[in-house]
Amino acid sequence: MSMKITIRCFSHVRQALGKETVTLKLQDGTDTTEVERTIREMAGEALDGISFRIAVNRKYLSFPTELKDSDEIALIPPVQGG
Amino acid sequence: MIKIEIVHNKIEPFRSNDSHKGDGAEVVFNGRVREVEHDKKIIALEYEQYEGMAEPELQSLAEETVKKFPINDLLCSHRVGEVPVGEASLHVSIWSPHRKEALAAIEWFISQLKKRVPIWKWAIYEDGTREATSHEC
Repeated sequence: MSMKITIRCFSHVRQALGKETVTLKLQDGTDTTEVERTIREMAGEALDGISFRIAVNRKYLSFPTELKDSDEIALIPPVQGG
Repeated sequence: MIKIEIVHNKIEPFRSNDSHKGDGAEVVFNGRVREVEHDKKIIALEYEQYEGMAEPELQSLAEETVKKFPINDLLCSHRVGEVPVGEASLHVSIWSPHRKEALAAIEWFISQLKKRVPIWKWAIYEDGTREATSHEC
């Protein structure tokens, strides 16, 4: 079984991938750590040295979490408001 | 009272008034766009938000600030989109009975905003090119 998730891209992630969103088809049981690894691979070296917090469905996560179909994920680079 | 907003146009500062009879301190902060970002001259910053997450995070932070410090009112307006050099990107007003807690509260609130609220800056250079900026506090 597979599921479809949406990655929202901001700041350096958007710059590296040249996209605002990426849709991935993943195997059931995939967690956020694997998604981060996939996005880093897609970006080549552009995201090296940048740390991320992970948000799923617009809430920060404190630890890696298994994803569900239709989840929205964001790799949050250091924020810069103000 | 807490009021937070994310706006796309020029910030209209919250008006000061004389109705805060119990507050001896009113602290106002305006964050403005500098003309130099990482040693390069810019014409503007573009603030990018995670729509649907930035505003709830800002609201949650404001509520936490009011619980943590003995302050009565916290008003915050954050601008997103393109903000020309010199214009305000952030406006915060805090009222409290005494100065010390108002100053501590505004410092903490802005520091946390810069750690938690999903908003990012893109530098817009004189030749029109844009670049995601590196993190700085």
